[in-house]
Amino acid sequence: MSGQKTRAETFFRKVTDWPKLAMLFSVLTIVAFGSFVPTIHKDTSSDAFIASDDPVLVYREYVRDTFGLEDPIIVAVINSGDTGVFNPETLAVVDALTEGVSSLSNIDPDRVTSLATESNIVGTEEGMEVTDFYDPTPTTQTDANSIRAAIADFPLYQGTLVARDNSATLIVAELIDQETAEQTYQEILSVVAEQNLPDGVEVHVAGEGAVAGYLATYIDNDAKTLNPMAGVVITIVLFVAFRTLAGTILPNIIVMGTVAASLGAMAAFGVSFYVITNGLPTILIGIAVADSIHILSQFYEEQVRDPAGDRQTIAVRAMVKMWKPVTLTTITTVAGFVGLWLGAEMPPMSYFGLFAAVGVAAAWFYSILFLPAALAYFNIKPSKLFKAANQNDRYGAFLKSIGAAALKAPKATLVAGVVIAAVGVVGTNKVIVQEAQIENFQTDEPLYIADKEINRRMDGTYFLDVAIEATDAEAFYEPEMLKKIEQMQQAFEAHPAVKGSTSVVDYIKQMHKAVNENREEFYTIPNDPDLIAQLFLLYSASGDPTDFEEEVDYDYRQANVRFNLPVADYQLLTKIVPEFQEYVDTKFNTDTVKANLSGRVSVNHKWLKTIQDNHVQSLGLSLLFVFIAAVLVFRSVVAGLMSLVPVVMALLLVYAVMGFSGIWLGVGTSMFAAIAIGLGIDFAIHTIDRMKELLENRTGSYDERMADLFPSTGRALFFNFAALGLGFMVLTTSEVPPLERFGLLVVVAVTAAFIAGVTILPVMGKLFKPAFLFKNAKQNDAGNDKSKPTAIAAALVLSVLGAGAFVSGGGLEAADSFDELSADEIVANINARAEGEWVSRNLRMELVDKRGKTRNRDTTGYRRYFGSEKRTVIFYNAPRSVKGTGFLTYDYPEADRDDDQWLYLPALRKIRRISASDRGDYFLGTDFSYEDIKKESKIAAEDYTFKRLGHEEVGAHQTILLEATPRTDDIAKELGYSRVLLRVDPEIWMSRKSEMWDTSGNALKTLVSLDIREVGGIWTTHVLEATNHKTGHFSRFTFSDVNYADEVQPDMFEQRILRRGH
Amino acid sequence: MKFPCKYIIAAALFGAASQSGQAEGVFESLDFTGTFENRTAVAFSGNLQKSEFVFLPEVSIDLSAKSRVTIIGRLRGDVKDRLEPGPPADCSRSGFSGRLTLGSGIDTEIREAYLDTEIAGAYVRLGKQQIVWGQADGLKVLDVLNPQSFREFILDDFEDSRIPLWSLNAEIPISDYTLQLIWIPDTTYNDTPDRGAEYAFTSPLIVPTTTVDVPISFVALDKPSRGIEDSDIGVKLSAFLGGWDLSLNYAYHYQDNPVTRRNLSIAGVLIVQSYERSHLAGGTFSNVFGDFTLRGELGYSTNKYFQSKDVEFNGVVHSDEFSYVLGVDYAGFSDWFLSAQIFQSILTNGPEKLVRSATESNFTLLVQRDFMNEALKAEALLIQSLTAGDGVLQLSLIYEWRSDIRLKAGADIFYGKKAGLFGQYHDNDRMTFGIEVSF
Repeated sequence: MSGQKTRAETFFRKVTDWPKLAMLFSVLTIVAFGSFVPTIHKDTSSDAFIASDDPVLVYREYVRDTFGLEDPIIVAVINSGDTGVFNPETLAVVDALTEGVSSLSNIDPDRVTSLATESNIVGTEEGMEVTDFYDPTPTTQTDANSIRAAIADFPLYQGTLVARDNSATLIVAELIDQETAEQTYQEILSVVAEQNLPDGVEVHVAGEGAVAGYLATYIDNDAKTLNPMAGVVITIVLFVAFRTLAGTILPNIIVMGTVAASLGAMAAFGVSFYVITNGLPTILIGIAVADSIHILSQFYEEQVRDPAGDRQTIAVRAMVKMWKPVTLTTITTVAGFVGLWLGAEMPPMSYFGLFAAVGVAAAWFYSILFLPAALAYFNIKPSKLFKAANQNDRYGAFLKSIGAAALKAPKATLVAGVVIAAVGVVGTNKVIVQEAQIENFQTDEPLYIADKEINRRMDGTYFLDVAIEATDAEAFYEPEMLKKIEQMQQAFEAHPAVKGSTSVVDYIKQMHKAVNENREEFYTIPNDPDLIAQLFLLYSASGDPTDFEEEVDYDYRQANVRFNLPVADYQLLTKIVPEFQEYVDTKFNTDTVKANLSGRVSVNHKWLKTIQDNHVQSLGLSLLFVFIAAVLVFRSVVAGLMSLVPVVMALLLVYAVMGFSGIWLGVGTSMFAAIAIGLGIDFAIHTIDRMKELLENRTGSYDERMADLFPSTGRALFFNFAALGLGFMVLTTSEVPPLERFGLLVVVAVTAAFIAGVTILPVMGKLFKPAFLFKNAKQNDAGNDKSKPTAIAAALVLSVLGAGAFVSGGGLEAADSFDELSADEIVANINARAEGEWVSRNLRMELVDKRGKTRNRDTTGYRRYFGSEKRTVIFYNAPRSVKGTGFLTYDYPEADRDDDQWLYLPALRKIRRISASDRGDYFLGTDFSYEDIKKESKIAAEDYTFKRLGHEEVGAHQTILLEATPRTDDIAKELGYSRVLLRVDPEIWMSRKSEMWDTSGNALKTLVSLDIREVGGIWTTHVLEATNHKTGHFSRFTFSDVNYADEVQPDMFEQRILRRGH
Repeated sequence: MKFPCKYIIAAALFGAASQSGQAEGVFESLDFTGTFENRTAVAFSGNLQKSEFVFLPEVSIDLSAKSRVTIIGRLRGDVKDRLEPGPPADCSRSGFSGRLTLGSGIDTEIREAYLDTEIAGAYVRLGKQQIVWGQADGLKVLDVLNPQSFREFILDDFEDSRIPLWSLNAEIPISDYTLQLIWIPDTTYNDTPDRGAEYAFTSPLIVPTTTVDVPISFVALDKPSRGIEDSDIGVKLSAFLGGWDLSLNYAYHYQDNPVTRRNLSIAGVLIVQSYERSHLAGGTFSNVFGDFTLRGELGYSTNKYFQSKDVEFNGVVHSDEFSYVLGVDYAGFSDWFLSAQIFQSILTNGPEKLVRSATESNFTLLVQRDFMNEALKAEALLIQSLTAGDGVLQLSLIYEWRSDIRLKAGADIFYGKKAGLFGQYHDNDRMTFGIEVSF
């Protein structure tokens, strides 16, 4: 112990010998990190909460691309008068608004739907005619009446375009770029404001596009003003605590360093700033301030003890006493956040954990380096609040009285604690997982009112899509297929949550009716596929064939059915999404047709489900890490368990408040648990450490020894608590409900952790006398009772084990038979996977930069083995600028023999011999390295050592988590990877997802294999995606026409073929 | 009025281009692509050197699994028409390879039109095509088969300035070797800009001068025109042996620049130009050593003529020429490509009478750097004459804005004495801008 102290003393002596250097270094690193902060990329989209390779998101993108379906912004024109919206004045408003909205830059004018743009299908003598409803633009009541009659005769538009009671009609505008939805929402509001609305006409703007786009900005804007305000309040608390300039300013510099390091690192590594990242600065402020408060308190105490001492000696003395608890809290808090990082599945939460850990470490760093240097360098006046030694100010006295009361009635205190915890448990059971984005708005927010108003009158503005894909073109001419769709529409609409639907079937029925003199009995699907084809043809003769593009693709192979829901909260979705999924699976998924749920509703369901499934897991992991860290720092399991007490109390109370006050566990609120752990553990560690110290160094009874705990450590903890509590209380004044809840729950968490820390922990020490506390205690009356570690330890261990079992309850079961295999055997299996003697395939490379700009390359490639020598050739077909480029490689089996490579550049008309690129170099501008490409989903066993890390689920597949570490630094440098994490599917011996870290240990790339299926008996990846986390660049390789059967002739791999093309 | 058949092909090609929509379905294997490009060059003095629009359509049709026809056309119009003012005379071109002029500054031609096929294991390419020999970049030792247009000196891409010729090109694999046989009956030679053009030659290295103050008159250009007798032939044997790419080359060909002779007579100096035949023998090699690529080519040419300082012996020196290029490429840094070359031309005769030096040396340095996953390519190419001290620095930036749109910017800076090959364009320094849209 003394050795350590000496070392600590030497260290702080050194730091304070060179105060200017230490401060300069600190300021420079703060500036350096801070300089990255402005480059941080904001990603406030809710899609960011799902990993971008999640099948649900991938599928939605696919549906979007095929049918062009985007989340729309919806403008509702409402008139509750007798004629509803069917009068010339109201219809004129619809026309004007349609035109105004169409002219906005982020609105695709072809994808604006309203009465003014839509077509009517009517029967004529020749068959059928498609005319615009607004043909001519209605000017008289008679015109308006005829439109009303037309709509009444066109069921498809009822409830979707016009309210069934005629009181409202919609203008549905699809956005070109969802990222700027908020701005477009504002623009639409100003288009509406420019209108002179006739009496009785109301206009509302809502829609999923508006909600999603606006919500993020709504939260973000409020957070931007309130977060700094919280900082101001915390500063005031600091002033109250110390009443000195130094005590107010120095912690703020630590705060700056902490926030700069965390956000700077995020920016530097290209991690986006998500909506929930708004919580990060606040929590970091809290932790940075806590470290400072403890050190400063000690410093002022030391000043009082030795008024004549020189600055440096006093600063060193304070640091020698405080470095340990500050370091311990840092270790445990970092452990908690690392647990969150590893446990959370949603990228924003996972990154929250990681960068909170970075920030906490930075707070420690600056507290240990900058603070002592500043304390030694500046002439810091003593704080008047710290008067004479052992004389308490009113805060100290207050704390002392609380402590004394608790210790006087230890059993009662403990019982009270247990009762509160039990209430917490009850409350926890009442917490519901629920999210509805619209409920995040104030109820008087125009958007909220609009959403409620529109959904009350119409079929609903929340969309669930079912995308149906047939193998054959023109499949949707088949009456059987259409009837299946009709049945599905009827089945889903029978559910009370679904109010309406739209599909190509509705159009067919309308057309069928139209060609039969508008007779109602012909509102059916014709039994003749030829007739259906003719109906479409007839339509295209007078209407715009793109009218159907949201329902069916151009070759009638894929169709989309859209269901309207007026509400789409998570509880509802958990009921209907699986039900609908099952319907679709049983009725549609056959050899010739496939169907999938998609749309915003389906995506929302997915990510909310992730919260529910993942919450307990990430929480458990976080707690486990904190526990392990606490065990390590105190070298005692019991200490670890005791440290968890305030944290668990904080958690239980947070859940109790949520449960009893009806706050949902949703996206934002799922973060509180992590924050409660991060902040709560500090109180425990400080208290326990001080208890240990007091027992070691003081004499007298337990209570006497503890007396000093409350006025010194307790006081510091109190101000720590006050700073956080008051700071976050500012957020409760927010107008934005999520921030309000955020503030409230953090206040609850820190209050609980603080009170439990200063009362229950000393009481537990007194009652259970755990050995770790008394190990070095001076032998006198304090430890006269024999400690009873076993009882409490057993109880605590059992409870934690129970929790652990719960956490791992949803764990792995599959892949048992592969558990016997060693890592090297797994690699051998991967490398033994068949890949055919030859293959030909087309490859489309999509290169997407971080702004989403895409460049494409179409190529054809051939590969053939010549014995164990592998030859590959790739020809570029498009775009024209690279057309004709050819790339030929001879890859030799000898490990020490470089590949031979030739590049044919059509612009030079020359074959160039090129040096075999470093294996880690990027392949022709993509995010794959030459090695990634060459190995074709295999792995060079000679380069790495492998380790099994357990299992992981990727998509619906159980995979073996395999860690590959380059054998030498040279190999790591050559490959560009210091670590590779593979997720090997033992069914196919292929990694479904791999992650790579660069040689500095930073996350570099993620490779994902998708659409893996057998071609000629060989498992083949058809989509390969690589995301470069450093550059934000993304590459997708899509393989098609993969052919292992037809022999690729050997002369395909001669140089001269490059000149000629394939 | 007689329309040569090449014009009809050109017209048909552009006709086909304009009807491409209908062409689909007619020929399933038809592939129609092309680029529209604007290239603008502004001299540092502020003059617009050129602002040309170039349309390059390419049609290819697979006739069978082993046969394909490719036709590439070019329609080019220049707003300024300063590079080749007035309608081009095309007197260095054969009747089969002329251009169709559509008014001042607009011309169109079939760039390439060839049939690829395979006959008894041999690859045959028959038709108008570019055949490139050698390993050097920007400097020519063996790359003598196709002539070149100097309308923009050497600033234009070789792809655009090289003049394709009607030829027969066969590559015959013989065990590990490939034998290439080339027959070029097309008697088309270098296009050199006329006096008054922006890049007209003025250097005494090329343009004959006279010290005597006498009238100079141009008498005749003797251009070979007999298809068979005047055709060029080439043979190349290449192999990949022990890691080395090797080739041996031989050509019997007309040099693409005419020899300019000055005959002193009573009427003054009479200029007579004629094309001379030469034997060229040489070879190339390249191999890779780690991150370095070593490549080189050397050639020995007979029967060459160079300008002499006086008009004795008709103002020319007759000599053989040995020349070589040795280059080293380095690709050891990610995204970088560095390449240096040394070129020497050594004449076997007449050092004291030559306008040029008996030994001429050039050095080139190429630095390329890719950015943003190869969306942006920056390049600097320096060509430095070690003999005359002049040179040119070419800078370029190419940005792939979308798959089908590339934006280009660059600068070409000449330096050195007016008498030098590069220095003669001292006042032509320019900035270039371009946009290329492809489909």
